[in-house]
Amino acid sequence: MKEINVTINGKKVTGREGQTILELAGENGIDIPTLCYHPELPPIGSCRVCVVEVEGSRTLVGSCHTPITEGIVIQTHSPKVLEARKMIVELLLTSHCGNCFMCDKANICELRGLAAELEVGIPRLMGKKRFYPVEDVSPYIVRDLSKCILCRRCVRACREIAKKNIFDVGYRGFDSKIVVDCDRALDKEACRDCEVCTSFCPTGALSKKKEPFKEDKRGKPIVVGAGAPEQDT
Amino acid sequence: MSGDILTMEKGRDELLVALQEAQRKYGYLPEDYMAQLAESLDISLSEVYGVATFYSFLATKPQGKYVIRVCKSVPCYLKEAESMIEFMERELGIKPGETTADGRFTLQLVNCIGACDKPPAMLVNDELHGDLTPGKIKQILSSCK
Repeated sequence: MKEINVTINGKKVTGREGQTILELAGENGIDIPTLCYHPELPPIGSCRVCVVEVEGSRTLVGSCHTPITEGIVIQTHSPKVLEARKMIVELLLTSHCGNCFMCDKANICELRGLAAELEVGIPRLMGKKRFYPVEDVSPYIVRDLSKCILCRRCVRACREIAKKNIFDVGYRGFDSKIVVDCDRALDKEACRDCEVCTSFCPTGALSKKKEPFKEDKRGKPIVVGAGAPEQDT
Repeated sequence: MSGDILTMEKGRDELLVALQEAQRKYGYLPEDYMAQLAESLDISLSEVYGVATFYSFLATKPQGKYVIRVCKSVPCYLKEAESMIEFMERELGIKPGETTADGRFTLQLVNCIGACDKPPAMLVNDELHGDLTPGKIKQILSSCK
């Protein structure tokens, strides 16, 4: 394998041919945030969160899909990059509707995590919201497309891993939306409880349908404070 | 290529050509056709629908006899395309994206149609009309029988 000399954040390192900037950064302990990228899926560079500065490049480049070249000089955390990343997440949040307090996935939401990490703070921008009613026709999956950020992970995961190829992106621009067939509610014979798309979704847009609430799962009530009856252990 | 979807090779290479052909033939893309096409190309219906809805010259619903595409890009906008659109909405009694009840006109807003030298501009089916004024629009609409 051919070795490639790269300068990343002022440090001279060597990478292998065909490696992306993101992979090389990871190997050298540099953490570049990502959103649409997933190691098990082919990169598409749609979210732009992983952008880095490359010397001589007119624009910032997506590190998840840009291969390294001989002599490339990369800055992964320059002020320009940090500002761009922050703005990208801010813009994603502007059209994202859904209240984190009410969202089941809030604690594992990658968008929310990223916003916290990049110190996005309270919303500054007011824009149109992408609102769609919640779709729970399928016995396995609940789709809340208002929370979808169009990262296309579900499209790729369903195609590459589940091999069912159920989703794709329909319409264009602001109206873009993940569609099933001719924009139908998800309720297909092929779609079973494989849980691939739900586990790949970075937000609360796709989630597993919950079991109906069962009382025996609650356990014993916990009573606190003075006068609480003694619990037998 | 031939219009027969059964003779096509598998894969998405011929998708757009097939959709354009069907659009010419039927005036829009019926769902049955898209489903059949997806099957014969061995791709998902979602993908066919995705491509069909991406392009403004492909329609997934039946269109009027005359499809009016008004440019909404910046040069036309600066030349009062907005008020021309409003005028047409009043004349036809429909909003952009809709078709008149008699099936004569469909009104659409599209991005640049390459007539920036004579804004505001619109296409009526394949015919280009530039330098629009309310009077001119009235004339054009009444000539569409």
